[in-house]
Amino acid sequence: MKKNKFVVIGSGRLGSNIATIMSEKGEDVIIIDADDDSFRKLHESFSGYQVVGDATDLSILENAFIKQAKTVVIATDIDNVNIFLAHVCYYLYDVPKIFVRISDNDKGKLLEGTNIKPIYPFTLSLTEFNELNESEDDV
Amino acid sequence: MKIVITGGKHESDYIISMLKKEHHELIVINNDEGFAEYISSKNDIPVFPGDPTKAYCLQDAEAQNADVLLALSDDDTDNYVTCLTAKKLFNIKKTVSKVKNPKNVELFKKLGIDSVISSTYLIAQSILNESSVEDIIKTLSIEDEKIVMLEVPIKKEFAIVDKQIMDIKFPKNMNISCIFRNPHVIIPNGSTVILSDDNLIIVTTPEEQEKLIEFIQKKR
Repeated sequence: MKKNKFVVIGSGRLGSNIATIMSEKGEDVIIIDADDDSFRKLHESFSGYQVVGDATDLSILENAFIKQAKTVVIATDIDNVNIFLAHVCYYLYDVPKIFVRISDNDKGKLLEGTNIKPIYPFTLSLTEFNELNESEDDV
Repeated sequence: MKIVITGGKHESDYIISMLKKEHHELIVINNDEGFAEYISSKNDIPVFPGDPTKAYCLQDAEAQNADVLLALSDDDTDNYVTCLTAKKLFNIKKTVSKVKNPKNVELFKKLGIDSVISSTYLIAQSILNESSVEDIIKTLSIEDEKIVMLEVPIKKEFAIVDKQIMDIKFPKNMNISCIFRNPHVIIPNGSTVILSDDNLIIVTTPEEQEKLIEFIQKKR
C-alpha cells in the first residue's frame, strides 16, 4: 500500500495551522478531532478531509487513512493521549514520520528508542526567551 | 511482593484490603486527594496523592523496582502512560492495566502491557466460551484465551469409566490436572482409574475443547 497521506490529530491552533499549511503545499491532508467545532480554525484554503471522532479508537484512525500515512502530526491538548497515539502510530501502523507535541518535557523519556519526534513548547519558549534576552543586551 | 496500585475508587479499595491481608508491601497512589485520605485511614497505610503518569510522582512514592504495578484509573490512556513509565523508567517488572474500552485489551498487550483487564471483555469471553459447550461444564480462560480449564463431571455411562488413564486414547493437547473424587482431590498419573461421579479438571486449548468434551462424553 502506498504511503502518501498526511494525517493531523487534534485540530487546535497548532494542528489546524499545520494542516492548512501542508494542504496549501499540495499534500493530501486528513485532520481528526473529536469536536466538529474545532475545524472552524482551519483556514479557507484547506482542501483536505475532516474526520470527526476520538482518535484513540483505532477504527477512527483507520477511517482517516492512518495505514497510508507517510507523516502524522499529533497535537491534542492531552500529553498522555499524544504519547499513546504516537506509540500506536509507531508500533502498530509503522508511520515513517511521527511528530508529537508534549507539554511536560519529562514525558519525552517515554519516546526514547523510537524515531518519534517530540516538539516541546516549553523548550521552544525558553530558547526564544534566551535569544530575545540576549538580543536586548546587544542594544 | 512490592506492589504499586494507582488510581481507581472501589477497585483500588477492595484490592488494597485483599492484598494487605497477605502482607505485601503496598504503595498506593491516587489522584483524588479526598479519596487518598479515605483509603489511607481505612486501610491504615500511607497513600500518595498525585498523578502517577508523572515520573516524579512514582519517584516520591519510591516505586522503583516494584514487582507489580496495577493501573486502575478510569482513563485508558492515563493507565497506558502509567504502565509505560513504570516499565521504562522505574524497572517495575510486571504491569497490569484496567481498561474501559474492551478493544484496548489486545492493543495494550501488543504495546507491551503485561496484563490488561476489561470487565466488558471478560463478560463477552465467558459468554462465548460457555455457549460453545454444554452448560454442565464449567470453563475458565487464562493467558489470552490460549488456554482453557474445564471441569467435566463423569457419568457412569461414559466409555472412559473404569479405565486407567494410560489406556484411554485421549485427543492431543490436553492434560488432566486433577480429579475431584469426593472428598478427595487426586493428582492423577497413568495408572489412575477414572470412576463414575469423578470431576475431571482438564487443561486444554480452545481449539481442542469441543473435540475433547465429545470424546469424554462418548457413551459405551
